[in-house]
Parts: sequence; structure tokens; C-alpha cells
Amino acid sequence: MIVDVRLERALVVSDLHIGNPFSEASESLGSFLEYAERERYHVIINGDGLEILQTSFANLANDTVRILNRIQRLLARGQHVYYVVGNHDIVLEHYLESWAELHISPFLNVHSGDRRIRVEHGHLYDPFFVNYPRLYDALTRAAGPLLHIYPDVYRLWSAYERYKDRRAGRSTQAEPSVYHGAAEMLLRRGFDAVVFGHTHRAESIELGPEKQYLNSGNWMHGGTYVELDHGRATLKKWTVPKRR
Amino acid sequence: MWWIGYDWPTVGLDAALGIDKRREVMSARKQSHAEELERSYQDGEVIVEEGDGSRDMFVIQSGSVRITKRIAERVVELATLRRGDFFGEMSLLESLPRDASAHAIGETHLLVISAGALLVRMRRDPTFAFEMLQRLSGRVRKLNARVVQLIESAGDGSAEPATMMYAPASVDEGDR
Repeated sequence: MIVDVRLERALVVSDLHIGNPFSEASESLGSFLEYAERERYHVIINGDGLEILQTSFANLANDTVRILNRIQRLLARGQHVYYVVGNHDIVLEHYLESWAELHISPFLNVHSGDRRIRVEHGHLYDPFFVNYPRLYDALTRAAGPLLHIYPDVYRLWSAYERYKDRRAGRSTQAEPSVYHGAAEMLLRRGFDAVVFGHTHRAESIELGPEKQYLNSGNWMHGGTYVELDHGRATLKKWTVPKRR
Repeated sequence: MWWIGYDWPTVGLDAALGIDKRREVMSARKQSHAEELERSYQDGEVIVEEGDGSRDMFVIQSGSVRITKRIAERVVELATLRRGDFFGEMSLLESLPRDASAHAIGETHLLVISAGALLVRMRRDPTFAFEMLQRLSGRVRKLNARVVQLIESAGDGSAEPATMMYAPASVDEGDR
């Protein structure tokens, strides 16, 4: 299994939730992949790219065809597409591997320029996912219908984690502090930057001199991504180009 | 009152451990029980010596490390490790003396992980366990290929050395 890769230029996206009726990815990701193809970027899908917990297989199959075709085009041009497994797509691992020639990994250590960047979905540091996996799974499935009312339902989760941080007197930055703590653990292993997804909250902060933490956000509502360019990691927002 | 601020548990440590060891103990005391230590080495400095009884493993935060082994009165360089690589895990996992020596190349910063801290690290950073297993698996695969090569080149039909490849782990018999 590939976990160490050298990529000078790559785009990292996460939490596309393709197949979920409320994901904007099936509409906007096509132009994004077109951009990656044109500008010769490699692509890293940093977990929860496909949705199986909150949708039917028919929806998933319908939405993935166009996206996977685009991915096939990238692969045909010699660009690489890496798929880091998240918590919504663990069961799809074999499907993805056999459908397209994607590199499936639990995480990636990206060597870019003279920097080492860890790209990982981040669900392993979610205390609720780790401590109550069955309840987490049940609530995730139950949240499916809620998406019809409020597509950003995932953010409620982050809000709850931040509320717990405030109660405990910990930092109240954009993301729950558990993810910053996890990133710090990784940074101490000689990484220069850590890119997570999972929380749906796009973020870029310094966690020390020359030490960076980024979250690539989500494509349920709006589309953010992290650009890796010769070691520099930058959080960006994707705007769908207007058709003439 | 000078004695209020005095660090009483250190009394006698200087005499018992020496000043360097005492500093190390005090630095460890200041950290949370779950944290690993960090150490810095200058160019050429010895990190571990082949045969010594230390048990920590190390992750390279910056700099490089040269791994050498004494073979038939010669010092052979086995590898040069870089940022993110780890070493010393064999002594930690098997409680055996160091199999090779490690020296710093340039100024080198290391994360020092003891056996107890390794379990905490694996729980908090499970991908570290994955990376360790992957590295060890790669090493076993290469060694297996070498064993097969040696059996083939011996050509005497004896496959006995191959049985070591999948031998079960030994159990310490304790008092028996």
C-alpha cells in the first residue's frame, strides 16, 4: 500500500459526499477536475469522497459515473489520483480499487519541495467516532433525512465539539482542539504540515514556527481545497467558471 | 524562604545519576506522563552504541542519522535515515541490546519514545503503528527473499533455513 509519495503539485479535496443528494460536488467537481487536468495537478481525495451511509446505491451509481469518467481522463494523461479512505467510504474501498486505478491509502505522507506533508481524513481523532463507533454509525445514517432540511448538518457536530472545548476552557479556534492536538502529534514526527478533512470546516493556521495545520473543508456546500505547490500548502475556494 | 521553592525530589539525584542524567530526569518530570522527550545531537555525536542496553526508539524530527554495524572487525554503514524515519524499535520491542550504532549527521533533533510512551503514541496517533508495521513488513519481505536466494545458491536441497521465516515468536519461560 502506497503511503509515501513525492508530488510537487497536487490538489487536495475532501468530504465530497458524491451520491448524497445535497452534495454540490456532482455539479461542481467536474470543472475542478478539468482544471486539475489542464494545469497538470495530481489529485488527492482526502476521505468521504463517495457517500454510502446516507444515500441509496442508485444515487451513488448515478452521480459517480461522470466523476469517475473525469478521473479516468486524468489517469489516462499520466496524472495520479490518490484516494484516502474516510469514515463514510470504508466499505467502498474494494469497489474503488477495482473500478478505477486509484491509489487507495489510509493516509499519505506527501514529499513536496523540501517539505513533508501529512494528508489524512482525520476521523481517527474524532473522539465520538473512536469511543462510540456503533452510535456514531447509527447517528450518521439517521442524519441522512436531516440533510433535506439543513445540508450543513455536519457543522452542528463541530459546533458541539467547540462547545465542549469552551466548557473545558480549551482553545476556541475554528476547529475543535482535538484535531489541533492530533496535528501537533503528527508534526512532532517531522512533518511540516498536516491536512485533515472530516470536520467540514475549512481552516489554515500555524501551529508553531514553520508548522502548519489545514483542513480542506467540504463540497456539500461550497467547495474548498488545499493546493500543494513545491511544498507550499494553501487553502483555496473553488469557483465554478461561468459558461459562455 | 528558599526551601519553599526548592525542588526536593532532586536532592541526591546529582550524586546518584550524574548531572546529565539528572537533567534528563528533571526534563521528563516537567512533561506530562504521556509526552515523549525531544533530544538534540551535534554532528558525529553517538545516539546509541551497538551492544548497549538502552531501550528507547527514535523518530528523526530534523537532520539525518547514520546507522552502522561492526561486521568482522569492520564498521559497515547500513543506512542513512532522514526526517520522519525511525530507528531503535528492535531494542524497544524485544528488550535486547542494540543491534547497530547510530550517529547524528549534522545537527539532529529526535523524538525519543519509551515503551510506555509508544503505546500512548499508538493510541493517539494510530497511523504511527501502521507505518512501523509497514516498515517492518518490508524488511521481513527482503530478508525472506534473501533466505530463498541463499537456499537456491546452496543447491543442496536443504530447505531448513526457510523454516525460520515463519517461526512463531519465542516465549520467555520465566522460572521454568
